[in-house]
Amino acid sequence: MRLSVKRAAVLLLTLFGACTLTTLYQVLICPGKAPRRYMRSILVRNSNQTQYRYNQNTPMVFVGGVPRSGTTLMRAMLDAHPDIRCGEETRVIPRILSLRQGWGRQTEERWALEDEGVSQEMLDAATTAFLLEIIARHGEPAPLLCNKDPFTLKSAVYLSRIFPNSKFLLMLRDGRASVHSMISRRVTITGFNLSSYRNCLTKWSNAIEVMLSQCMAVGQSRCMTVRYEDLVLQPRATMQGVLHFLNSPWHEGVLHHEEAIGQPGGVSLSRTECSTDQVIKPVNLEALTRWVGHIPADVQQDMESIAPMLRRLGYNPNANPPDYGQPDPEVINNTQRVLRGDFKTPTSLKGWAQVSPKGGRN
Amino acid sequence: MRKQTCNVLLVCGIISSITVFYLGLSTIECPTARSRAAQHRWAVNLHAGRNLSDPLQIPEEYNEETPLIFVGGVPRSGTTLMRVMLDAHPLVRCGEETRVIPRLLAMQASWSHSARERIRLDEAGVTDEVLDSAVRAFLLEIIVGHGEPAPRLCNKDPFTLKSLSYLSKLFPKAKFVLMLRDGRATVHSMISRKVTITGFDLTSYRDCLVKWNRAVEVMYDQCLAAADGNCLPVHYEQLVLYPEQVMRKLLRFLDLPWDTAVLHHEKLIGKAGGVSLSKVELSTDQVVKPVNTEALSKWVGKIPADVLNDMASLAPMLSRLGYDPLANPPNYRKPDLLSLNNTK
Repeated sequence: MRLSVKRAAVLLLTLFGACTLTTLYQVLICPGKAPRRYMRSILVRNSNQTQYRYNQNTPMVFVGGVPRSGTTLMRAMLDAHPDIRCGEETRVIPRILSLRQGWGRQTEERWALEDEGVSQEMLDAATTAFLLEIIARHGEPAPLLCNKDPFTLKSAVYLSRIFPNSKFLLMLRDGRASVHSMISRRVTITGFNLSSYRNCLTKWSNAIEVMLSQCMAVGQSRCMTVRYEDLVLQPRATMQGVLHFLNSPWHEGVLHHEEAIGQPGGVSLSRTECSTDQVIKPVNLEALTRWVGHIPADVQQDMESIAPMLRRLGYNPNANPPDYGQPDPEVINNTQRVLRGDFKTPTSLKGWAQVSPKGGRN
Repeated sequence: MRKQTCNVLLVCGIISSITVFYLGLSTIECPTARSRAAQHRWAVNLHAGRNLSDPLQIPEEYNEETPLIFVGGVPRSGTTLMRVMLDAHPLVRCGEETRVIPRLLAMQASWSHSARERIRLDEAGVTDEVLDSAVRAFLLEIIVGHGEPAPRLCNKDPFTLKSLSYLSKLFPKAKFVLMLRDGRATVHSMISRKVTITGFDLTSYRDCLVKWNRAVEVMYDQCLAAADGNCLPVHYEQLVLYPEQVMRKLLRFLDLPWDTAVLHHEKLIGKAGGVSLSKVELSTDQVVKPVNTEALSKWVGKIPADVLNDMASLAPMLSRLGYDPLANPPNYRKPDLLSLNNTK
């Protein structure tokens, strides 16, 4: 009696064990989520006929920040590195990202899309494909691709997800300097009222707050903040930190980006970007404290409450200006050469500023 | 004592195996396995009863050579009917409206119409070529991804045909089907069914007719100008009155073999390889029925008298497309409208 019960139990056990093993096997071979139908790969050839293959897993760098925070300087210095290519602002990438964001918000539109068979994953795949084509094709290929559109850092978390091996550089700058720059140079930016320092400072504070929180959410290992003031005062140390963060070898050329302008493998500039006339010059201190004395007194008084991010970022809102740090001798030398008039905008890069109003970005 | 623990262990073992077994069953069957299996089954059925000397294969890769089919027109012109009839064809898959494709195309159109923006983009290295490859990549991901695979993929978003010329540049082998309909019927449909369309004021027949006129003109001109005659205008009235004739001509135009399934799309709703409908779309309740002529003249008597008087000047496209602006209704069975190669 006992023997047959035991045997029956053992038999049942082995039967269920076999079933368990087969189901486990099926579950294991199943990759879980349905993989994308096809992994888009882009092949680009450079002038030496070297082929580069890019896909969504390619390591990539996104440079951004509030406009007028040294984003163009940073990308120009990176462009001077032979292994890195950023290129000009694409202008279209922030627009696609904003379109994508609209389709993802928890609204009727999102449910309508799901009903039509357009899932969020599909939108991600389509957005990734679009971005990859633009980034890979709008400039020369290079081992490390980079993109600089200032407002992309508002979508850093999203970008970090669709490009799993991407890194981010968030440029920080004293908001008073950024705002003075956009107002004095008449750089149109959506949402910024260029006739009011108060409005622009408020908008600056809001924008940088969003970008900083995105940067922190992405995490230290993938998002690095760089102060513009550090970059111009101590370029060598700052760039060493940046290249280390990007796992790129040091290259002296990044400290002399002005020599690589228009060169193959160097820095490509756009005649319609408003920072062009500045980045043709070597790293210098001209723009560091230009804002001092230009901010209306009433705004200066309320500075702390208008732009709370100033203090949070380490800029004393009541110091005009704060002590940003000590300049390297190289930079002092550069600044003297610039003030002497050694660097004039070449004719090949001039002329477009008169055709259209400076800047104009959203 | 030992026997008791042994039995307890045995029971525990059995219980845990049962649990894992049922867990394994209940975790959704591997989606890829299922879709791949469904794909395989469907492809097998495809070739089973067909005497095709060159069976159309599901392409391995999708790129600018892909022979896509784009169906469009002013909304409420029979675009959904057309796409479900095509969906009923075993080799074609259109699927629901994507909604996102017209938005991207509209964005691209605004960039390309502004000379200043074009200069800025060119300076940034974002040339037409670069932008085109990006838009193409986006479109392919959406079109390919949002439904079952098929040898001929198709997309129906009514306003995409406002960018007909651009789409034909992106996809040189694509074919376009422009649905045309008596503007009065179209406008009556959108007003009576309250179909919100950007730019159309649903409280005014006059405004809607003017907007219809503008929209259909833009699309019709591009259709006539399409390279290699890759665009076929199809009159909705002809489609519902003489479906077999129209569909035969259409399938020939699309280089597709004839299949009677296209005349009985209502039988394939919700089936694999058939017609997928969306709860959100307003035409769904109509296309679940077989092809019928119910909606042909519903508009008669509903248009305000003053609008009727000014009809010819409000909507000159009516007569250009072969609809008599003063007849309420025109005789849709007239042979003129049968001619689908309208070169007016």
